[in-house]
Amino acid sequence: MSPSRAGFGIELAKWFQTMRVAWSVQLEYRLNFFLLVIGPSFVFFLVRYSLWTSIYSGRSEEVIGGYGRGDMLTYQVWVLIVALLAKTYNGMDLAQDIRLGRVSKYLIYPFGFLKFHFASFLAFQWIQVIVATITIGLMMAVSLLPEPVVSSLLAGTALTLLVGLLWYAMQLFLAMFSFWLDEVWALRVIMYNVVALLSGALVPLELFPAWAMNVLDWTPFPYMTSLPVKFFMGQQPVTLEPFLVLLGWITVSFVLARLVWSRGLRMYTAAGM
Amino acid sequence: MQDQQLALVSHKLSKNFVSYKKPPGLVASLRSLFVREALVKSAVDSFDVEIPKGQIVGLLGPNGAGKTTLMKMWTGIIVPTSGHVEVLGHQPYQRSEQYRRKISLVMGQKSQLWWDIPAMDSFELLQRYYEVPSAKFKDRIAELSELLAVKDLLHVHVRKLSLGERMKLELMASLLHEPEILFLDEPTIGLDIVAQQKIREFIRKYHDQRQLTILLTSHYMADVEALCERLVLILAGKKRFDGTVEQFQGLLGKKRFVKFRFSEPLPENIQFSDYDPQWGPERRTVDLRIDEADLRTVAGQILKDYPVMDFQTEPMPIERVMHRLLEDPQLLSGADS
Repeated sequence: MSPSRAGFGIELAKWFQTMRVAWSVQLEYRLNFFLLVIGPSFVFFLVRYSLWTSIYSGRSEEVIGGYGRGDMLTYQVWVLIVALLAKTYNGMDLAQDIRLGRVSKYLIYPFGFLKFHFASFLAFQWIQVIVATITIGLMMAVSLLPEPVVSSLLAGTALTLLVGLLWYAMQLFLAMFSFWLDEVWALRVIMYNVVALLSGALVPLELFPAWAMNVLDWTPFPYMTSLPVKFFMGQQPVTLEPFLVLLGWITVSFVLARLVWSRGLRMYTAAGM
Repeated sequence: MQDQQLALVSHKLSKNFVSYKKPPGLVASLRSLFVREALVKSAVDSFDVEIPKGQIVGLLGPNGAGKTTLMKMWTGIIVPTSGHVEVLGHQPYQRSEQYRRKISLVMGQKSQLWWDIPAMDSFELLQRYYEVPSAKFKDRIAELSELLAVKDLLHVHVRKLSLGERMKLELMASLLHEPEILFLDEPTIGLDIVAQQKIREFIRKYHDQRQLTILLTSHYMADVEALCERLVLILAGKKRFDGTVEQFQGLLGKKRFVKFRFSEPLPENIQFSDYDPQWGPERRTVDLRIDEADLRTVAGQILKDYPVMDFQTEPMPIERVMHRLLEDPQLLSGADS
């Protein structure tokens, strides 16, 4: 990036225009967006919600893993919000662009492939924020969410946006294998499911055995759902540590993605594909 | 240091593609992770060319001859295996930002425009990427959309356009930043004759106005005939001819191509077998290849002996020269340099 202010403004204009294109494309495929992105999150939410409702039915006083019935259901609502805010789907476009040889176009434009997709991700994040805000409002309106504390809401949102960045970095890393593999779709599905299980999106991590929780603490997974949910619920004192840990994992993922990218690109520019 | 007047220089430019044999079966596949048999294919072999600024050069050759590989090396998409390449004073494979701003590539087979949005949205994005000032951008849009007659298409989603319409907009996109050199890889592929002609006319007109350097590959000889002052033939990765279109047409000797039309079908016993005849339906027309030196006598004789209604003569169409060359590459041995 140019050090001068004018140069910065010009660069910013490139990013902003790229985001506008990403918005236009999303708007063009709004039905897809609802069916593929928002739909599944809501369906899984309904499944989890009715599952836990029936587990607690007739035993509304029972406490499971430290969660009473009300807390458990609130937990599930916040899991939905975290998914809506953080989960990105840019991996599909990335992988497709690589597989179909569209990388060439970005080798010629004076705005690179990685920049283009990162700008698209940022555009997508904005849409996610809007969808999540509306969902929070709806959930409060139907009394599925108690009125949240503003500081918890802000802390939770901030942490969740970082989780979004981690999702993106992980997807980027996986998508890079499209240079070698015909289809990385299966890898992505595995990743979604592993993260869902180990991050506390299916069941709270407190229900896992203690040794498993100890192991998980050394992985990024608890930071991807469990912790942001606790931030939102005000159950976890807000400290800098989770932010720093997430930033660490984000850095690691980006560095790995970058490494695979440069190897892939070297092959691409050697073979042309 | 390259001559200031040269847009593109390649010297002994080569590109090999390495692929690995993939044996069938799981065990063999696993084994191939460790021991692989490499297959090296030479796509471009010691290619020399110097192209002065402002020239339109046609790169001709059958499928798989190495045309696109050359284009990709010149634009920086792929890195050469060996040899020297310099375009507008840059090494393309370094892909410097200054270089990217000076060039443009249009591929007939691949869309550069974003498929899901109107072309104008793509143009605005390119305006930012190439840092074209707003006033200039407006002028460019007005000028190019006028020249290409696409004013009504700018706000239509690209995927809803016909191939010909899309290609016009692809060309427009590639010219917004006023590139110094334009690479056109099969720009008319798949288009109907009228659309091909329109694209050709536009390229011609635009070149006359701007005098930019254009490199064009095409399957359609008509593109090359209509546009290129110079023609480079590539066969199996090697340059086999480099010269003017007239010189190329002269490769098969100084022959003319004469078409006779008769008022009635000619009887079977008349053959003209010395002149490579191509008979039309019912033997009412015939195309002959006649030495320029004998043209007067032979044509005069035919006019005298047979009921000729009319006749026309023209130089050998490139199409026919190409056809003959592919059948018999030996014909080129005299033209190799």
